[in-house]
Amino acid sequence: MKQINRIGSVGNTDASRIDRNKAFTFTFNDKSYQGFEGDTLASALLANGVDVVGRSFKYSRPRGIITADAQEPNAIFQIGSTQATTIPNPRATQTELYNGLTATSTNGWPNVDFDLMGTLGKLGGGMMPPGFYYKTFMFPQSLWMTYEKLIRKGAGLGCSPQQPDPDSYDKMHHHCDVMIVGAGPAGLSAALAAARTGARVIIADEQNEFGGSLLCSKQLIDGDSPQKWLFETITELADNDQVTLLPRSTVFGYYDHNYLGINERRTDHLGENLAEISSRQRVHKVRAKQVILATGAHERPLVYGNNDVPGCMLASSVSTYINRYAVVPGNTLALMTSNDYAYQTALDWHDAGRKVCVIADTRPHSNGERIRLAAERGIKILFGHAVIDVKGSKRVSSVNIAPLNEAGNTLTGDTSRYTCDTVASSGGWSPVIHLSSHTGSRPVWQEDIQGFVPGETTQEQNICGGLQGVYSLAKVLSDGFNTGAQAAQKAGKGQGQYDGAIPKTNDLNESPAMAIYHIPHHQPTSRAPKQFVDYQNDVTAAGIELANREGFESIEHVKRYTALGFGTDQGKLGNINGMAITANFLNKTIPETGTTIFRPMYTPTTFGALAGSDVKHLFDPARFSAMHKWHLDNGAEFEDVGQWKRPWYFPQSGESMEQTLQRECLATRNSVGILDASTLGKIDIQGKDAREFLNRVYTNPWSKLAPGKCRYGVMCKEDGMVFDDGVTACINDNRFIMTTTTGGAAGVLQWLELWHQTEWPELEVYFSTVTDHWSTMTISGPNSRKVLQKLTDTDVNNDNFRYMDWIEAEVAGVKARIFRISFTGELSFEINVQANYGMHTWEVVMAAGEEFNITPYGTETMHILRAEKGFIIVGQDTDGSVTPQDLDMNWVVGKKKEFSYLGKRSWTRFDNQRNDRKQMVGLKPKDPTFVLPEGAQIVFDKDQPIPMTMVGHVTSSYFSACLGYSFALAVVKGGLDRKGQSVYLPLADGTTIEAEICSSVFYDPKGDRQNV
Amino acid sequence: MSNSVRVESPLYHADLPGLAKLSGNPSENCGVTLREAKLLGHLNLRGNANDDAFLNGVKQALGLNLPTAPCSSAQNDKALVMWLSPDEWLIIVEGGLEAEIEAELRQTLSGHFAVSDISGAQTMLELSGEDCLNLLKKSIGYDLHLDSFPVGKVIGTAFAQSGAHIRRTGEKSFQLIVRRSFSDYIWLWLQHSSKEYGLAIVD
Repeated sequence: MKQINRIGSVGNTDASRIDRNKAFTFTFNDKSYQGFEGDTLASALLANGVDVVGRSFKYSRPRGIITADAQEPNAIFQIGSTQATTIPNPRATQTELYNGLTATSTNGWPNVDFDLMGTLGKLGGGMMPPGFYYKTFMFPQSLWMTYEKLIRKGAGLGCSPQQPDPDSYDKMHHHCDVMIVGAGPAGLSAALAAARTGARVIIADEQNEFGGSLLCSKQLIDGDSPQKWLFETITELADNDQVTLLPRSTVFGYYDHNYLGINERRTDHLGENLAEISSRQRVHKVRAKQVILATGAHERPLVYGNNDVPGCMLASSVSTYINRYAVVPGNTLALMTSNDYAYQTALDWHDAGRKVCVIADTRPHSNGERIRLAAERGIKILFGHAVIDVKGSKRVSSVNIAPLNEAGNTLTGDTSRYTCDTVASSGGWSPVIHLSSHTGSRPVWQEDIQGFVPGETTQEQNICGGLQGVYSLAKVLSDGFNTGAQAAQKAGKGQGQYDGAIPKTNDLNESPAMAIYHIPHHQPTSRAPKQFVDYQNDVTAAGIELANREGFESIEHVKRYTALGFGTDQGKLGNINGMAITANFLNKTIPETGTTIFRPMYTPTTFGALAGSDVKHLFDPARFSAMHKWHLDNGAEFEDVGQWKRPWYFPQSGESMEQTLQRECLATRNSVGILDASTLGKIDIQGKDAREFLNRVYTNPWSKLAPGKCRYGVMCKEDGMVFDDGVTACINDNRFIMTTTTGGAAGVLQWLELWHQTEWPELEVYFSTVTDHWSTMTISGPNSRKVLQKLTDTDVNNDNFRYMDWIEAEVAGVKARIFRISFTGELSFEINVQANYGMHTWEVVMAAGEEFNITPYGTETMHILRAEKGFIIVGQDTDGSVTPQDLDMNWVVGKKKEFSYLGKRSWTRFDNQRNDRKQMVGLKPKDPTFVLPEGAQIVFDKDQPIPMTMVGHVTSSYFSACLGYSFALAVVKGGLDRKGQSVYLPLADGTTIEAEICSSVFYDPKGDRQNV
Repeated sequence: MSNSVRVESPLYHADLPGLAKLSGNPSENCGVTLREAKLLGHLNLRGNANDDAFLNGVKQALGLNLPTAPCSSAQNDKALVMWLSPDEWLIIVEGGLEAEIEAELRQTLSGHFAVSDISGAQTMLELSGEDCLNLLKKSIGYDLHLDSFPVGKVIGTAFAQSGAHIRRTGEKSFQLIVRRSFSDYIWLWLQHSSKEYGLAIVD
């Protein structure tokens, strides 16, 4: 394929930014083309004469490339060669070409040139007036999913990848004095001035190279090409180690406190599957003392009939393709402009050796220098004229031009036709105010530039250049230098005055531009050829006027009615024109119709970039005990408890989970089992008031707990509801060690600190977490003492080491704290060693227990064994609405404590004294093999009509190998007085199960086994 | 304790000594160097920095002035002390000496204070190299510029999705204190985030 629109270099110097020595092959809609390094996908397609790149959303009209920047509404593709690497919806104008790039149109099913929807589209258009989103799709709502699929298939907004992303992503944090957004002439000069003060500067730009408008400009700076100034400037910045340059980096969001999000595309321009080289994209999070927005301006198109036919383009983008990419996107140009600047496009086109058939200038006259230059080249100029419509379907074939009155709202004469294939239009420029409005700043309409500029802000925000409507290069440069120096000073660097030389450049004299947006037609707007305002959503001038006629007057309402600005481009190209049409129709000014506000993201940002490295095994930290490798080696299945990975059960080969649990339970009850309990929270409490502090946060009393003794405690929040529980041991009168639930550890420590710091600072007590310091292994069962005695010289028989005592002893050669406490109801010892010795100790205990068939068990067996004893698990049997009294645990409630304690007062509330509160009981299913589902609802009367009166639910339910039957813990209204009665559990499958309310202690109710 | 007792630092399972042998000469081609300064004695000290008796007691036990300025640290032959919060310090001593130092502190201190042995609870990682700043920029939100994070400063901050105390020991070298239970996550994170720079392990 020949690049028919690629022009050669002029003389010996090639001012374009492509490298003609590096040719790339790429495919678009399965056809192969050639381009060069430095091309965008859009410039390469234009070079190859590709006119139609997609079909429109609603009418399925052929669409071509309009812009050369982030505004592009049509050239939105699916890029990537596989289902893993495919990227939906990048703009071809911002996609750098690489060898092998594969792109397809996202809209235009089955293909862009011959489209089934093409004929349907004409019908569809009639059936889908503006507001169809509401009128059609809200009714019936149940069909929305169906409609959505049809619309997406027909219109196409790209497809999500169907396979896992092979790329990686990451994030980086930065701090700086001055953050500059945009590396055009304004941003670069600001960066120079700021960097010369010694300030820390970051400058980011979305394009592949710095330079902005200078990359496609021929205007001399200091008598030389702008490229020379660019090169010198970038070199100086790059050599300064206080300056960070971020090309290919889109500042997608500006957040409070001068916090900016930037997405750097690191390998997208190189190809696919480059994970070995680098992360594909990197999000930079910048906290800046001062921010300079130098985002420039976007050109506005004019709105005229059939302005979406391929070949209709923005004037400045035509110049960009010619000057930056050496591509003239057509043969014969008609230019329509409301200003002097756009004449440059005609000059560039002519100088590239192709024909400019006419310039239609909407103004009555202009004396600007570019007009003279155009006239000197013999280009036909029609003042007071406009292109009213275009002929052609897949490419412009001619334009109709008619004379216009001075106000620009009425045609004053007949149409003449000009043959051409390209129409460039310019309605002036709109400052790129998106980022400044991210932080809530309302843009302000500035009449003299016919555009919105950033309004008041609470951020440390500075603006310069095109963003504030300053367009002449000389002013932009001086504005940039001054703003850079001022921002640096506000950040504490320099004197605030730029006293270096400002580069000299000559701007051509210009006459004033005309405020015109919507070109009138001989027909009324509703009957004129379609005049597109928002290409991506097929919003026309007629559609906007219809919305206005139907009573939508605020621009926010108009947007929602017509979908103006709702595309992935957020209406960059069409919003101002849409507002102008509304204003004109309602006889208001543009600011009176409202302002237009933008939100992050400036351009669409991949989810991968936002997720960064926090995926797969780094999605959430996993915490491990010191014995984790042993559990892995011994076949444990794991359960997540908070962030901890705890052994759940230890299946042996061929065992089902049920069989495993029965084996583990029986082994523990009959001989000895071992549990890794390291994950329980442990808090070292020291200070002379430690005991008093415990009295106030636990419900039970601590005044008499002697050194060497342990006690179980329950904590409530102020509302009297159980919040955590655990055993606390007295080390000495000034020191206690508290244990908490695994999941509650951090919350309990915060809770203690909160009460200490805010309510009882007078208590002398310190809390330190020692959770990770100790490895804890619990050996439990009738043979546990024999195992322990083998490992220590300390006498651990029942006379020396009583139930609820703790001792310090050497176990397996390691200094240990042993707590004789029991969560299983069996004789039980909790051995705590410094965690670096955890694995060693565990292994020695296992070896010593071998003769007793010591059996490791996990959380599930622990749950069964404790439930057999009626011991609660906070968070499973309680849910934040359960008091100790509800749990039949009045024994854990202090009656005579001097100082009150947390939760006590709330128990006197009427609601907490009701007899019919849900109370903790045991349940025995009538069918002793049936395990009730946890969460099953309970009713008293199984024959009542639905909806039934539900009186409680099952909180824990298991089959007990030791008891030989299934059992459950449940909360039942007034349940403590209903022991022996039957309740019913209607299940989801329609069956109803009968169970008997019983004591929640099923096994060894007197507690003999733990006391032996 | 008997000689047959095996001791395992939090990153024992990662076999860093084995990886160190594979790393060869770390200065070549590797932007980041990692070492686990393992099995040191770690003590958590709480007390009132405005109480002269407390400060004197610490000085007597450790032979250095307790660093009371926020985020500061102090070091002598016996101990490295990091300020963690207005009433909290981390004391790091040679492994095995923690019990002795704790006993000394309990002897020289009076009034309201707390000492906890947390030697098993955490480990120290030493990061250095040309790219260790980039690695840290990926991991923490703190400003790493020498103006804001000079040598000797200690910060406590979110590290990826975990946390760490970080002390700067040189322009391009840092000590990280990380919790045992999170150390595997941090190890995975460090490997992932240093991949583009090259990671060398030293023993």
